[in-house]
Amino acid sequence: MAKILGIDLGTTNSAAAIVEGGEPKVLENAEGNRTTPSVVALSKSQERLVGLLAKRQSVVNPKNTVYSVKRFIGRKFTDSEVQQDKKSLPFEMQESSGGGVEVKMGERWYKPEEISAMVLGKMKADAEAKLGEKIEEAVITVPAYFDDSQRQATKNAGEIAGLKVRRIINEPTAAALAYGLNKKKNEKIVVYDFGGGTFDVSVLEIGDDVVEVRATGGDTHLGGDDVDGRIIEFLLDEYKKNEGTDLSKDPLAVQRLKEAAEKAKHELSTAMETEINLPYVTSDANGPKHFVMKMTRAKLEDLVGDLVVHSIDLVKKVIEDAKFKLSDIQEIIMVGGQTRMPLIQEEVKKFFGREPHRGINPDEVVAIGAAVQAGIFQGDVKDVLLLDVIPLSLGIETLGGVFTPMIEKNTTIPTSKNQVYSTAADNQTSVEIHVLQGERPMAADNKTLGRFILDGIPPAPRGVPQVEVMFDIDANGILQVHAKDKASGKEQSIRIEASTQLSKDEVEKLKQEAAAHADEDKKKKELIEARNQGEQTAYLAEKSIGEWKDKIDAVLKEGLETKIKDLRDALQKEDKDAITSKTQDLSAELQKIGQQMYNKSNERPQDEKPMEGDE
Amino acid sequence: MEELEKLKKERDEYLDGWKRAKADFSNYKKDELKRVENILKLSNEQLIRDLLPVLDSFDLALESLGEDKKVERGVYLIRSQMEDVLKKYGLERIPVKAQDPFDPSVHEAVASVESNQELGTIVEEVERGYRLGDKVIRAARVKVAK
Repeated sequence: MAKILGIDLGTTNSAAAIVEGGEPKVLENAEGNRTTPSVVALSKSQERLVGLLAKRQSVVNPKNTVYSVKRFIGRKFTDSEVQQDKKSLPFEMQESSGGGVEVKMGERWYKPEEISAMVLGKMKADAEAKLGEKIEEAVITVPAYFDDSQRQATKNAGEIAGLKVRRIINEPTAAALAYGLNKKKNEKIVVYDFGGGTFDVSVLEIGDDVVEVRATGGDTHLGGDDVDGRIIEFLLDEYKKNEGTDLSKDPLAVQRLKEAAEKAKHELSTAMETEINLPYVTSDANGPKHFVMKMTRAKLEDLVGDLVVHSIDLVKKVIEDAKFKLSDIQEIIMVGGQTRMPLIQEEVKKFFGREPHRGINPDEVVAIGAAVQAGIFQGDVKDVLLLDVIPLSLGIETLGGVFTPMIEKNTTIPTSKNQVYSTAADNQTSVEIHVLQGERPMAADNKTLGRFILDGIPPAPRGVPQVEVMFDIDANGILQVHAKDKASGKEQSIRIEASTQLSKDEVEKLKQEAAAHADEDKKKKELIEARNQGEQTAYLAEKSIGEWKDKIDAVLKEGLETKIKDLRDALQKEDKDAITSKTQDLSAELQKIGQQMYNKSNERPQDEKPMEGDE
Repeated sequence: MEELEKLKKERDEYLDGWKRAKADFSNYKKDELKRVENILKLSNEQLIRDLLPVLDSFDLALESLGEDKKVERGVYLIRSQMEDVLKKYGLERIPVKAQDPFDPSVHEAVASVESNQELGTIVEEVERGYRLGDKVIRAARVKVAK
């Protein structure tokens, strides 16, 4: 069945995604990028350019380079917003015969839907080239506040581009679909969309399989570009203050500064401080000048803090418009690249008192949601065979009370896993297999599912016997645990039926407990691991002394014995660092055994052949 | 008889599901391989992209110093050494000459300037452009005749 394209037709950038093998994915365009500028141009040589190429020549061809048409699609020319936007755009516009908007490119006048159709046409052609198959249908997203006429015009744009538009969906709804929230019943969701040029807030309510938009708001002229603008302004001012040069007159310097500002913005999302370093940014009578300036995250937050506060005020207003209380909102979704900014995440979190969703790339989440809707039409999302995953890890207890997972949580079942274990003591003839479920590193903190004993293991030094443990969990969640001693062939097994019977709440509780205790558990586990390592080293040292007592000298023997005693003492206590350092001391001493023995063998006559062949 | 039909139908359904799962898995393995290759390629691309400003600064430095012939030859050698390394990873400079016609697939206009040259031709390259493999990772920044 032919694929249906999901398209996020944006004001500044657009993106396309499809569902393949049940998974939505964003498609790269012909230039190898995941987003396409929503820009169309007619070049001087009368060639039509769309996307990045159109953008690259916009400086030299401003009259014939058209962008931001999403602000005009389906609108009346006399709308005050249209008149306002018109002032800041370099291309010509006029009223069409039907009262709508027309833009001029070359000698011809175009309707906004014709321009959008050119962008959509490129997305279609690039997707076809990428997938190697024809695409005839699409799902296209629009802002939630679009009225009928704007939606109809967007649909027409699709049809002009040769796409049958299966559905026009709202951008916030697409974002909710991308996160799979459409399956949650009776939930109220806020979508916070801080894009490049526009800021949109929507309140959604999910009823029985329908997502309803309850209120929308925002600011059509607030976006990441404003943040960039503030940074550039600041950098220019500082430079002028410190160096006395106005860089804003030099187009290349401004261009470099723009890129540096964007880079600094991105870096300050993860780092607390960044350096903007542009050698040879310009030159004056005294020679070349450089641009070096440190910028902190605090400074950036200071520069744009009011924009963020403004956005939160708008959120507040939209929730009031929807006649909801703040506590009614169960989920928050972040859309738009600017939401990567820590300040925005903190403010949103603080305002709602809960974590927003932001697992999916915020630049792509709308296109992905459109593809999910397309996938539903395509029938790809219908699961014939519903496969379960195990909610918590399954494993056994090993030396020192440590929980060793055999099957990690979120593994799709049915599945099975083998692992070979050994004994912890010399001449140990039985092992206990203690089957557990949970996420805590210590066995005692997890839930016991069952236990059994495998005996009849032939006496042998510790670490020698090989006990193979097999976990097998079938599609119904029934767990079989087998243990088999490889030497004797003795086997034992247990069948556990209730391994996946935990309720959702129980699972959640256990996971949260694991997270809450993560630090303390890690320390406990490290101590036990250090102890195990120490025990083993002490055991090895004692064994070595016994084995090689005739071949090593008294000094070394004594040294070893002291170090063993030191280590044994440390093992009685809880100090992990002491155990580790004593273990290291002892193992360094142990290596001397080998040294002494090799030295002895080197004292042998030179002409003696290596130990090889028949003796 | 009805029972037999039902079982047959069920068998076909299961067999089909099993085959699909097998196919999905084998496709997944292939995709995964491609994905890993892509990640390798992409991580190189990111690194190379981040290095481009360094090359630019080098160019600007040489240009600025070169006027007074103050530059030791060794500095030029370091630059070409760096270019050679990046070339090995597929980075190619996009050649630009004055008088070339402006082509947005490889050029980005930063300004249009008065000139006695033919309209729409390149007057000056202000920042080099680069190709990585067959992808233009940065267009050459140019001034174009008005």
